[in-house]
Amino acid sequence: MAGSATKTVYEIFQSMEYGPATPSSTATAQAWLDHHSRSLGLFIKGKFERPANRQSHTLSDSKGNALCTITCAAEGDITGCASLAVTGHRVWSSLTCLQRAKVLLRMVSVLGQHGQCVSELCEMCEASCSSSALVRLLQFYSGWAQLRDTLMADWMPLDVVEVVASDDCSLYSLMLKVLPALAMGNSVIVVPGRSTAAPVLLLAQLFTTAGLPAGALNVLTGADISLAVKVAQNLVISCVTYSGNKQDGVTLCKATAGLGVPVSVSPCIGATCPFIVFESADIDSAVDEAIEAAFKKKKEVYWVLCVQESVVDSVVARLRLRMAGMKCVPLLSDAHRALVDAAVQEAQQQGATLIQSSTAPPPGAQYPPTVLCNAASSSPCVVAPPPGPLLPLMTFRSNTEAVTLGNHSPHGQAASIWTEDLTLALETANSLSVGSVWVNSHSVSDPCLPSSGHKDSGTCTDGGQEGLYQFLCSSSSTGPPRSSPAPMNYSVFGTAAPPAIIPDQSDSSSGPPSYQQFVGGKACKSASGCSVAVQSPGGDGVLAYCPDGGRKDVRNAVEAAIKVQPGWMKKSPTARAQSLYSLAKGLESKKQDVAKSVVIQTGLSTDEADKEVELSVARLNVWAAYCDKIQGGSLPMPRSGSALSFPEALGVVGVVLPDKNPLLSMVTLLGAAVATGNAVVMVPSQKYPLPALAFIQVLQSSDLPAGLVNIISGGRDQLTAALANHSVIKAIWYWGSAEVRTRTNAQISSMNSCHLIILTRVLLGPPVPPAHLHQPPENPAPVLPRGRRRDELDSVRAVLPGGDLEKRRPVEERVDSYCIRNRENK
Amino acid sequence: MSARNPGTVLDLNRICKVRVNPQSVLKRAQQIQGQKIPKKQWQAAWLLKAVTCIDLTTLAGDDTPSNVHRLSMKAIQPVRYDLLKKMDMHDKGITTAAVCVYPSRVADAVKSLKAANSSLPVASVATGFPAGQTPLEARLQEVRMAVADGATEIDIVINRMLALTGQWEAMYDEIRQFREACGDAHMKTILAIGELGTFTNVYKASMVAMMAGSDFIKTSTGKEAVNATYPVAIVMVRAIRDYFLYTGYKVGFKPAGGIRTAQESLLWLTLIKEELGMDWLCPHLFRLGASSLLADIERQIYHHVTGQYAAYHEMPMV
Repeated sequence: MAGSATKTVYEIFQSMEYGPATPSSTATAQAWLDHHSRSLGLFIKGKFERPANRQSHTLSDSKGNALCTITCAAEGDITGCASLAVTGHRVWSSLTCLQRAKVLLRMVSVLGQHGQCVSELCEMCEASCSSSALVRLLQFYSGWAQLRDTLMADWMPLDVVEVVASDDCSLYSLMLKVLPALAMGNSVIVVPGRSTAAPVLLLAQLFTTAGLPAGALNVLTGADISLAVKVAQNLVISCVTYSGNKQDGVTLCKATAGLGVPVSVSPCIGATCPFIVFESADIDSAVDEAIEAAFKKKKEVYWVLCVQESVVDSVVARLRLRMAGMKCVPLLSDAHRALVDAAVQEAQQQGATLIQSSTAPPPGAQYPPTVLCNAASSSPCVVAPPPGPLLPLMTFRSNTEAVTLGNHSPHGQAASIWTEDLTLALETANSLSVGSVWVNSHSVSDPCLPSSGHKDSGTCTDGGQEGLYQFLCSSSSTGPPRSSPAPMNYSVFGTAAPPAIIPDQSDSSSGPPSYQQFVGGKACKSASGCSVAVQSPGGDGVLAYCPDGGRKDVRNAVEAAIKVQPGWMKKSPTARAQSLYSLAKGLESKKQDVAKSVVIQTGLSTDEADKEVELSVARLNVWAAYCDKIQGGSLPMPRSGSALSFPEALGVVGVVLPDKNPLLSMVTLLGAAVATGNAVVMVPSQKYPLPALAFIQVLQSSDLPAGLVNIISGGRDQLTAALANHSVIKAIWYWGSAEVRTRTNAQISSMNSCHLIILTRVLLGPPVPPAHLHQPPENPAPVLPRGRRRDELDSVRAVLPGGDLEKRRPVEERVDSYCIRNRENK
Repeated sequence: MSARNPGTVLDLNRICKVRVNPQSVLKRAQQIQGQKIPKKQWQAAWLLKAVTCIDLTTLAGDDTPSNVHRLSMKAIQPVRYDLLKKMDMHDKGITTAAVCVYPSRVADAVKSLKAANSSLPVASVATGFPAGQTPLEARLQEVRMAVADGATEIDIVINRMLALTGQWEAMYDEIRQFREACGDAHMKTILAIGELGTFTNVYKASMVAMMAGSDFIKTSTGKEAVNATYPVAIVMVRAIRDYFLYTGYKVGFKPAGGIRTAQESLLWLTLIKEELGMDWLCPHLFRLGASSLLADIERQIYHHVTGQYAAYHEMPMV
């Protein structure tokens, strides 16, 4: 603002302008950078390390001025850091809960002294995090550090956790992963992105001051996401968790697939979220908050304003008035400006009209807040929004259409809905497939409110108690074994032809029986008509033929499953329980047949087989009992209002079963999925499929809706690939055998999708009483899945772990304003 | 300047549809209170703007011609001449917007101002201020007499009984009659928001008052337990915006009661600028009802000009 300092009082008296913003001071942060000679090292073992001969990478602020350089970690640094992190974990995890909690609390007072430096550094690096938000995180997780052994007695820390952030991730999102990992007793290696590198190095240093043992928190910096992959390859890493944009998340998933390390992804940056305004809303408030949400300088999600047709004129009129005097929002670069211009132009060509504060946008890396009225839902500004202050506005006719519009997106992170009608608010919140729904508010976040996403918006839950489980393992089961990094050949996975085994016997009348698979409630052959031979336990003969299922069978099964799943989820829990009880009864009555198939297939003694069937019956009863015990609840809210959580099924779940205990494992997983409202497509063990196929007769006589449970036999790899390539399937629970050293235990990819599947062994033991209602798959039964995740190339879509069986969605509610959020249970 | 609001027919359908979400309004109020206030010459200019919007008020049982005279003189020269001169604002006609007194003191104020050769408007509260619990005929007569004595602005109070029991037609009719009694005098309708209960009622009462032809809507009398608060103001100015979008007429807004510091006056101006825009930032459409506010503003201006903090006795007395 040239010459503004010379403006006279009278000029201002007439124009009533605000005056120039006083630039905030950055002196403290600059002093800290100077103290480190503007060149930051790696943070390993409680101090900065500056190994010689490393490449460096320059960080710059929003105006393009160089701030400092960071060191690019090399192979040797990673190995060194990893082994020190193991030592760090040993020291850190051997402390008592109270001691760990105290370290986190001390960090609060350290931040009290150095908060200014942290917030200035965040401001300079655009990592957007206030020191009060960090204090809130520390206090919350210090509480969890203290209560871990009390409230989560059966859980242990993993070991070394790698936390990865993309270049545009905020410090808050990063610390939302780092702090719970530390609080649970893990040591952490942080691989920050460009914006978070300097602030997180500073925080690591401050943590040492607060008394965190050396090696418990390490920071490795590099030029891009490939460093994170290299770190993940280290065998001491027991879990990788990522926060940031989707693109880097997908890159990370693809590159780490097959390493046998669980990867969880929170693509919190760049999701598209609907902002739905009903005619029963307080329009003025809705407009105000929409402006606030959409035209922030640094926004993490893109909003789409959906307005009921009957009030669109009054919304537009208010937008026009409110936006009249708004200043331009700075963009990061001229390239972004070009993107924004292109998107606006394209939208205009498709008939959108603009509401803009100034008629001709001034040149340069800035753009005035702009609403694109009548934007087409196919327009690029909706589908792939450019980074700028644009807000597409679409209209809907009815409440149902609002939900359809809101759900019609690859993202499922959050939604904001505006209505004073309680019934409408609850109904809409329940129908939107997003992780959080805010009613008459937006972007309310707090570490005590778990956040997770549906669809492309993530494979894990952050915040709340649920968010802690990604950093814990059950003390009754060990984590998955790490396999050596073997390159995964996506193009050939699952394409191997089945071995052709021709039985020796020539007598066709006494030849091996043919089994059928179960699709859409009907026992049938595979779509291709082909069968594969099932070998006897000794491997010297053909026991039977089972259908050789493939892509088309999976497609048919999914079609049947998606038809019945919503109805099944809406059934009362009691009705679901009754169906499962009767399924258990059905199994009991067919006990002998099924036990016989177990004996033939596995070579177990009759006694052992009987025992497995009995256990299976008991397991179905356990899950039936669980149906009406899984509940949501109310959550604490950071501001006035209330938060509610609702449990929610995932949808259609694919299950690739283990070889061990073929009947028991199948029944357990089936029970877990179905009890919580899901439909399943199950692939029995390739080696031992007969007990599962024998179970089909039990399913046929049950009253489960046709299509709810599907069983497809055949080659495991090809069926896994088929499941992974079907976008309707919301999760895959996959068990490969632990001893497999080949790529089977890894991941699959095809032209446009890449899936990471990691699995664990099924454990068998005496039934343990369920300690936590909220982790039904983990605790109620001894045979428990601990599968992990799968991700997709163009849709970071989860294979949820066993624990992510059902989603829970909280509704935040208050007398006149509601905030509803959904979360996944983990 | 746009034409005076003639009022409309009572559109009950519009009144019924009113929805106000208290939590969002409170949040918005916090947001406005959290805004950075202007500094240096911007602050001085904004404070002077606030001065020109003040209805300098005395509404006490012990008002006599002498203190009304002093008030009128202060209204003509609200900020010390030497201070204005230093900012080159001495010849820009900085006076308060009006003086506001009880009906019986209108004649005194008019006389004092006339003697000082000033055309500053005199505003009078009327209609059984502050409770409004007198017979309609008496209230109407009060308005007529204040106008006859030379008041050019009348601050009327609404009948809270009608608002609280939802008798919007009756309230509309009463205000319509007041407006008629006012004649050419501008009418400011006091909603006494401290006694209306909910934000929704405030919004509805604002709408009815504007439909009945108010030139201003005013928060409170200054005599209730709750006076001008930012959340209530947001609700009222949104009603004003709604009415503007509906009819094209701009109705003014006057917060009153409890506004004492220069800082608060800046926040009020910010609120108006943010919610209604620049058009409303003038005495025709925005007034601050206050008595002690002026002294604090004058001290802040003194500080801006001299760099020193003044004692109250250094400023001319009200």
